[in-house]
Amino acid sequence: MKLPDNMGHFGAYGGRYISETLMPAIIELEEFYKKIRKDNSFKKEFNYYLKNYVGRPSPLFYAKRLSDIYKSEIYLKREDLNHTGAHKINNTIGQALLAVKMGKKRIIAETGAGQHGVATATVCALFDLECEIFMGKKDVERQEQNVFRMELLGAHVNPVESGSQTLKDAMNEALRDWIANVKNTYYMIGTVAGPHPYPQIVRDFQSVIGKEILKQIKKLPDIMIACVGGGSNAMGMFYPFIKYDKVKMYGVEAGGLGIKTGMHAASISGGRPGVLHGNKTYLLQDEFGRIKNAHSIAAGLDYPGVGPEHSHFADKKRIIFDSVTDEEAVSAFQMLCKLEGIIPALESAHAIAYLEKIKREIKGKSVIINLSGRGDKDMHTVSDYILSK
Amino acid sequence: MNKIDTFFNKLKAANRTAFIPFISIGDPDIEASFEIAKTLINNGADMIELGFPFSDPMADGKVIQKSYERALKNIISMQDAFDFIKRLKAYRDIPVIFFTYYNPVFVLGHKFANGARNAGVDGVLIVDLPPEESDEFTKYIKKKDIYQIFLLAPTTDIDRMRYILSYAKGFVYYVSVTGVTGARETLSAAIRSKVKEIKKISDIPVGIGFGISTKEQVKEISEYADAVIIGSKIIQFIENNINDKSRILKEIAEFSFNIRSSLS
Repeated sequence: MKLPDNMGHFGAYGGRYISETLMPAIIELEEFYKKIRKDNSFKKEFNYYLKNYVGRPSPLFYAKRLSDIYKSEIYLKREDLNHTGAHKINNTIGQALLAVKMGKKRIIAETGAGQHGVATATVCALFDLECEIFMGKKDVERQEQNVFRMELLGAHVNPVESGSQTLKDAMNEALRDWIANVKNTYYMIGTVAGPHPYPQIVRDFQSVIGKEILKQIKKLPDIMIACVGGGSNAMGMFYPFIKYDKVKMYGVEAGGLGIKTGMHAASISGGRPGVLHGNKTYLLQDEFGRIKNAHSIAAGLDYPGVGPEHSHFADKKRIIFDSVTDEEAVSAFQMLCKLEGIIPALESAHAIAYLEKIKREIKGKSVIINLSGRGDKDMHTVSDYILSK
Repeated sequence: MNKIDTFFNKLKAANRTAFIPFISIGDPDIEASFEIAKTLINNGADMIELGFPFSDPMADGKVIQKSYERALKNIISMQDAFDFIKRLKAYRDIPVIFFTYYNPVFVLGHKFANGARNAGVDGVLIVDLPPEESDEFTKYIKKKDIYQIFLLAPTTDIDRMRYILSYAKGFVYYVSVTGVTGARETLSAAIRSKVKEIKKISDIPVGIGFGISTKEQVKEISEYADAVIIGSKIIQFIENNINDKSRILKEIAEFSFNIRSSLS
């Protein structure tokens, strides 16, 4: 069956749980996207920017020293080499083109660590669009450099002081702005979540990751691993491989201080189904259905929800979800630096860390890991973490 | 017959527009919010809308966000909310609209519907549950004599209006601004014509809410709508006098009385 269905459902998940004020805009977007996703000139334009601006295709790198250690054949999909340093730009290029075609001049976006904010600010400069970024006040303080980066690119950064002052609250505030300015504003969601058709749009634009891998490999891998916060890098890599039943997929969530401590961001491994930010999906929540704060050393995974298509594939056991802790992620981060000369983003380090958990299983097998971003942004976080130990 | 229907039939016969105040359960605490509800009822509230505090109120402006944050410090459970409503109904049996985001309802499912029915809830307004996704909730409240109250917005076009009105029961809530909740000084001139459009399609009562705060606005609305809903303006009295409960009650009583007097 094709997913999502025409109401935006991925099995029991997804859908459109939003204020009536936004429904017409969401329906307009859905209808527009339906037409344009098959349009050849749109595809051509998207590919033009991916090649000449982002620098795609990104290499699929055989990590020899890492492979030797695990006695397996490990490849890294180098999304860290993209312009702006992560996979996020694949989606923002696509959505910016969409916004331009729809005649929307004002772009809003939420951001946690600032990666999606930077990717959004970048394309807004490129396509001459007004750019408003919503970012939790705590994140603004933690990620000064990314705030400055967004401002250099011409964006206006709005610190959000409500609630927990992090990513989920930034998303609430972006939705409030959208409700008030829906006529001229395009909401650029950064992950495979939100009301239909966003999970599908973001998946489609990020699928370039998996499609390239299909061209880069000689045979199908045995195992694929990606980190999962909202889940856009994972879905981008997994989606073109879903139909190959023998390819095993692992989604690695942020275990923070450990699932049992409650201080984590593992919505599937440590949460249960609920409704937030326009979709039904696994969420971190208390017994009364209120949303809990997430915790992860990787700001990009620090969100109490996950894309609805992941929830669906988790129930179907097509993607296996598990988690690694902050500590395991930092160890893997250090290991990759020393073994391969690659400084990964802390988010991507979660995927690397998972090798250790399945080291028996991967012996003699081929593994592809999505190295979704580079770690320049994480220097402070990692040095603080190491010093505090 | 649902109490909301009986109530609007009576108002219609008396050619009267309803005043529906909104407050959050538990702000600033359970007992004080109960006193506030009683004060509103004693000073002209015809029906009451009670908000269940939520961690992520995406459709609400600053005033209601802060109200929820104050209430959440008191860890209000759904059972607390049901107990509150039961007590209020025992005090005065007016229709109660329960306002919530969907997740707290979804996690309880049928238990929510049973609890709401026992407490005496007449209508449930779920701000992030459009008709497209409402089947599941409809199953919960089936045979419970509870209505889901639907919303229309300035962005809703005529076709979609027809679609939503085909689901609407009790009354339909017209959101008077393209934006979140919160008091505004002026009233959009387009509301009157929108209400006219609604009335052409359906004879369901129309309530106007979001952004309403003054006697003048209320007077104007009473010329064409069946109910006026005021939330943020009332909750502002709590925020302004957070350390003086008697003053909160006094100011809310005066405001409520003035609003009721401005309505026909």
